[in-house]
Amino acid sequence: MKDMNRRTFFKSSVAALPLASVAVAQPAWAQGADFKSDVDILNFALIAEYFLSAFYREGSPMLSSKEAGYISDIGADEDAHIAAITATVQDLGGTPTMAPALDYGDVFNDRKKYLGFALRFENLFGGAYLGAAGQISNKEILQAAAGIYGTEERHAAVIANLLQEPAEGGVFNGALTQAADKRTVLQALRPFVKNPQTTTVEAAVTL
Amino acid sequence: MTQPRLFGGGPVMMFADDRSRRSFLKWAGIMGVGATLAAAGARSGFASAQADEGDIGILNYALTLEYLEEDFYGRGADSGLLKGRAGEIVAAIRDHETEHIAAIESTITDLGGTPVKRPKLDYPKGVFKDKRAWMETALDFSQLGVEAYHGQVTLIQSPELLMAAAAIAGVESRHAAVIAQLAGRQPFPAPIEQSAPKSRVLKTVKPFISG
Repeated sequence: MKDMNRRTFFKSSVAALPLASVAVAQPAWAQGADFKSDVDILNFALIAEYFLSAFYREGSPMLSSKEAGYISDIGADEDAHIAAITATVQDLGGTPTMAPALDYGDVFNDRKKYLGFALRFENLFGGAYLGAAGQISNKEILQAAAGIYGTEERHAAVIANLLQEPAEGGVFNGALTQAADKRTVLQALRPFVKNPQTTTVEAAVTL
Repeated sequence: MTQPRLFGGGPVMMFADDRSRRSFLKWAGIMGVGATLAAAGARSGFASAQADEGDIGILNYALTLEYLEEDFYGRGADSGLLKGRAGEIVAAIRDHETEHIAAIESTITDLGGTPVKRPKLDYPKGVFKDKRAWMETALDFSQLGVEAYHGQVTLIQSPELLMAAAAIAGVESRHAAVIAQLAGRQPFPAPIEQSAPKSRVLKTVKPFISG
């Protein structure tokens, strides 16, 4: 279902971010917030994208072919996010976070567990992008991050619909997306990160 | 990208008054991006504690689209065309749009602005003819709703309003994805949401406007 238009658009809109306003100081309202810089936010997002990408690449033998098709498309989105965020961090002069070693546990041989796990983290990461949006200084990065956030929201809704979750309280969680803060996200990730002290997530996971 | 022909290209939206019409056209980009950016940037040095004129304009633009969405999904939910799962989903979407309207109206008022009035909507024949026709319109319409919000992201001055608009936009993304899924279409048209460029919004909203 993927086609070149998607990738072409993506390249032009994200990978080639104009970075004229990189040096803009952190706005006053963001002082004391979760993140020190846009690079900090992007590297945090990168951990979430790695987490989902590897999970979708693993796949599940219990899915129907239609479901596996959706999961493959969703995984391709996460891979595209990783490529774009990595390139942007480098353009900003930062060092992209490396992929952590992950252990998702025993969810791959159970359709409901697998899709439920995906749904849980799509919901959480959608909220995390929203939570970080107000702290992004660079407008071009904000535009891209908002665009990624919307895509994670799409993933969550489609997966919930595959699970036949109720429309409200499943496919949708109210009329407004709820933001998630950094601490909530890291606490949710921690059980699945192998040897957090020796990975690049260390700084983030050590709360 | 194909240009959606919403509502068969017929006029749908009659604005309640000229102010509502002008406000919507301005933020839909019909007055040109230069005018839009100038308005969004028109802040005096001490205005940051107050609402931007630009932000209120963006909110009124969003409000107009939300009025249209609530009406369209509401009529869809009440039409009897959508049974079972589709009916359940669309009714929930309608309820969200109702909440978005209330939230945006009260925000505009809190900021010292005046919410635009609800436009008079008149749909061309055929939109509610059958489930397929309705879903085709819903596909374009839900996607436009997403892209319209994303087109405003970098123009919003207030961080609080940015968060509120983004919280709405995320739910609009869910709507678009599930409608596409129900219609058997691709629910993930791009790895990042697209923002509606001026030219596309112009072409898409022009048919709504008959006043």
